Parts: sequence; structure tokens; C-alpha cells
Amino acid sequence: MGIGFIDILQSLIDGILFGSIYALIGLGFTLIFGAMEKLNMAYAASSIGGAYVGLGIATLFSLPLVLIFFIGPIAAGLLSILVYLVSFRLIPASNHLGSLMASIGALFFIDEVIIHETQGSPLTFPELGIFSEAYFMLGDLGFRGDLIFIMIFGLVSMGVIIYLLYYTRLGLATRAVSQQNIAARLCGIPIHATNISTFVLAGILGGFAGCLAAASVGVISPLLTIPITIKGLVAAVIGGLGSIRGAIIAGLLIGGVENFFLLVRGVNERDIYVFLLLFVFLVLRPNGLFGNEISRD
Amino acid sequence: MEEKKILEVEGLETSYDMIKALKGVSISAITGKLTCILGPNGAGKSTLLFTLAGILNPDRGKVIFEGEDITNQQTSNLVEKGLALVPENRLIFPHLTVQENLLAGAYARLAKEREIVEQDISEMYARFPVLKERSSQLGGTMSGGEQQMLAVARALMSKPKLLLMDEPSVGLAPLIVGEIFSIIKQLNEEGISIVLVEQNASKALEIGDYFYLLDQGKQIFGGSREAILKENIIKKAYLGESAG
Repeated sequence: MGIGFIDILQSLIDGILFGSIYALIGLGFTLIFGAMEKLNMAYAASSIGGAYVGLGIATLFSLPLVLIFFIGPIAAGLLSILVYLVSFRLIPASNHLGSLMASIGALFFIDEVIIHETQGSPLTFPELGIFSEAYFMLGDLGFRGDLIFIMIFGLVSMGVIIYLLYYTRLGLATRAVSQQNIAARLCGIPIHATNISTFVLAGILGGFAGCLAAASVGVISPLLTIPITIKGLVAAVIGGLGSIRGAIIAGLLIGGVENFFLLVRGVNERDIYVFLLLFVFLVLRPNGLFGNEISRD
Repeated sequence: MEEKKILEVEGLETSYDMIKALKGVSISAITGKLTCILGPNGAGKSTLLFTLAGILNPDRGKVIFEGEDITNQQTSNLVEKGLALVPENRLIFPHLTVQENLLAGAYARLAKEREIVEQDISEMYARFPVLKERSSQLGGTMSGGEQQMLAVARALMSKPKLLLMDEPSVGLAPLIVGEIFSIIKQLNEEGISIVLVEQNASKALEIGDYFYLLDQGKQIFGGSREAILKENIIKKAYLGESAG
């Protein structure tokens, strides 16, 4: 049986919808990179960690499972503060490599804590209730309810981030700090408080993405961390580090590409092509889709 | 009547990139006057201003602003106290619009008095009409002279009592330099105390009240315009002792 056009279209649709998760994580990477010109490699780990804390607290106190989607993001935001402190605040600002290595350390630290606490076995994660059962048909194409929920949720979160960045005092401070650090200080903008806000904001976003990723597959496992880290990073790089719309579009693109290759080449080869996409971009368009739109002085 | 000092600096020593750039500088600025700091490249002028603005912390020495010891205070506190720096190379926010650059300049006041800030922006537009024309344009797309005006306007948005300016003429066409200097003069006449760092000594001599000469991290002269004109000291500072 060959692969028909409809199959390809269907896999692209599913992939792009799921790609909202990569878009959210890519957006988080890009926000932090935009603010500090540094990569926080522990970002996806603290996102998944937040989802774990949400699941843990909800299970421990027998809370309604929907609360995981509130507790998880808050926990991820708090974890992000810790990551900021150990990997960025306490390391001299000029030591870019130091922060990079420390955040990789934080990634594995969070992962190891999770493995230790769960004896290394995956946990069942609540699915998205009625959304998981819903399925819509449009002609020959089907739309999974949970993926549509993830997409809508992702778009709303992105909308909130864009609103915060472009229409609030905090957003003005964040953008000012990211563009011209010394001038931002001269304007009286508190740098560290602004950076912490960026980390918390990105952390909350990541917490949502972590919960959504776990909910869409119904299990949560530390094995999720590395693939989400890498794909979020690829989204941020392909989009152009620092570009918000770049990260969003690239995240959706990666979701589509990944699912397309899942269909035509199988699950074992799928990720190879995602990483090839990264190399293609790094060689042919190193600034990504939307990087460096205006050159800096 | 004794003149009040808005700024007093005593024995300031600051290291920058492991090099001691200031080796004991003591200067003062009189309220309402225009104080110029001259000197060749690498004399420590920018380091001095960065230390005054709290961007760099001194190893030793004291900075007193309006009678209060402000050594080692955070820049954000200093801005609220009324001390603003227009940095060398302007350092405007390239991806913020002109309007947003001005809003950022008023950051500390933005939460409480947004409406007053909006009024102040209108005043800035009246003072610098070119900024009004470009209000929704990104800062990075403007010419050097326009960026300098924006940098000055952004610093003024914090309502400073003392304005520190680092080489506002650098890299600008002579006509624009003239314009910038007349703006500086005007701001000073309106009552803002100014400390101006310049390499363009002849321009600075036209508008300054008091002068200091820095060389290799130390001040080698301090005095009025008459005093600096009398001695052949500028030439010495710029060309080295042997040339004098």
C-alpha cells in the first residue's frame, strides 16, 4: 500500500499541530537568549520538571487533575529562577561558556532528580479529557481534538507573551535589556530583576508546554527532556535566535517535518531529518528565518 | 556667595578589564555650571563617567552627589536621585522605536506617572522636532546625529539634575556637532548641571565653565577657562610633555 497525498497532508497537519509544543519551547529559548544572549540549556528540563511537580502535588493531595496545568507551569517558573541563580546570576556575565556548561549541568541535575524520585519509570499523565476523545473530520482529513487544544493553547500563550513584551512596562524593560544592556542600566532599569522576570515568564510557558507534551502522549518520562530540548533549540535557531515569530513558525515547521518523515521513513529515522534540517539552516541561512532583520550598530 | 557643589569626587580609583584606568581622580562640579573633562584617548574619561553612573564600581575613593555619599550605589538609584549619563556612541536601543526609547528613559517614573511621562515626551518632541518626525521609526535606522539627539532626549526623560555626557560629538559632521553643542549650552542655561567629556577641546572651550585635564588616569589640571587658556596645557596633554 503506497502513501497517498491525503496521508501526507494528514501527517503534516498532525505534525504542525503538535509542533506548537516545539514552538512554545523554542519561544522560551529565544526569550532567554534575547534577554541575555545566552542559551539556557536547562530550559526544557525545568519545563518537564514543572510538569512532574504538578503531577506529584496533584497526586499527593488528591487534587483535581486539571490543577496540574496550573501547578505545573508555576513550578516550572520557580525552577527557572533556581536555574537562573545557579547558572547565570552567580557566574560572571562575561563568562558565556561558564553559563552554558552550568545550564547543561542543571539539565542533567533536574533529569537525575526526576529519575531518582520515580525509580526511572515513566508515570501516567492525565490526558486532555474531552479533548482527547474529540475528533473532527473535514473532508478526508481528520483533526485530533487534543492537538487542536494544544495548538489553540499555544497560540493564546504566544499572544499573551507578545502582549507582555510589546505593551507593558516589563516588556519594554525586557526588550531594552536585551538590546543594549548598559543603556538599559543607565535608564534605571533593574537588570537582574528584569532577567528573573524573563526566566519566570519563559518558565511558565515551558511548564505549559511540558504539561501539554506529556498529556498528548499520556505519559511523562525524563526521556522527554532531551528530544524537547533539542527540538526547541532547533526551532529557536531555525527561527533566528531572538526572533519570536521565527521560533513560532520554525516550531510548527519542525512538527510538520518530523511527522512527515515519521510517515515516510518510520520512527527510527524521523529525528535524523530534523537534525539535518538544522544543518541545512546553519549552512545556508545561519541567522535563521528571521534573525538579524535590522543589523545592530 | 559660595558656590554649591553638585558633585564631588575624591581619590577615585577604578579598574577596567584588569587595568587600573583611574589612579586617584579628584574633581568637582558646581551646581548649574558646565564642567568639561578633557584628555587624550585612554586617559580614563569614559571610565570616570561609568564609575560616576554606577556602571563600574571603584576600587577606592568617594563620589558625593548633592552632599550624599553615592559610592557603589546601583545605577537605578542614581537615576532616581537625578544623575543621568549620555554614553559614548549613544547606545540607543536599536530595535525600539524612538518613542519607546524615550519611554525607557523614563522607566523609573513609568509605573506611577505615565501621563506626566507622555507630556514630557511631547516636550522632547518640541525640543527635538526630528524625533517627532521619526517617533515610530526604529532607533537603529536613524543617522548618527539623530541618534545623538535621541540619546540626549532619553537621558533627559529621567529629569536629571546632573547630566553626564561622554563625547557627544564623536563621529558626527561638523554642522551636527555645532547643533549638539548649542543644545548642551541651552540645557545648561535652563539649569541642568553638566559634566561633559570631550576630545574636541576647542569646541568644549567655547561652552565650558570649568575644565579638568585627565592623562593616564590622573588629573593634571583643573581650573576655569581663563586658567586653561593661559597655560599651554592642552597641547601638552594631547601631544605629550615633550611636544610642549
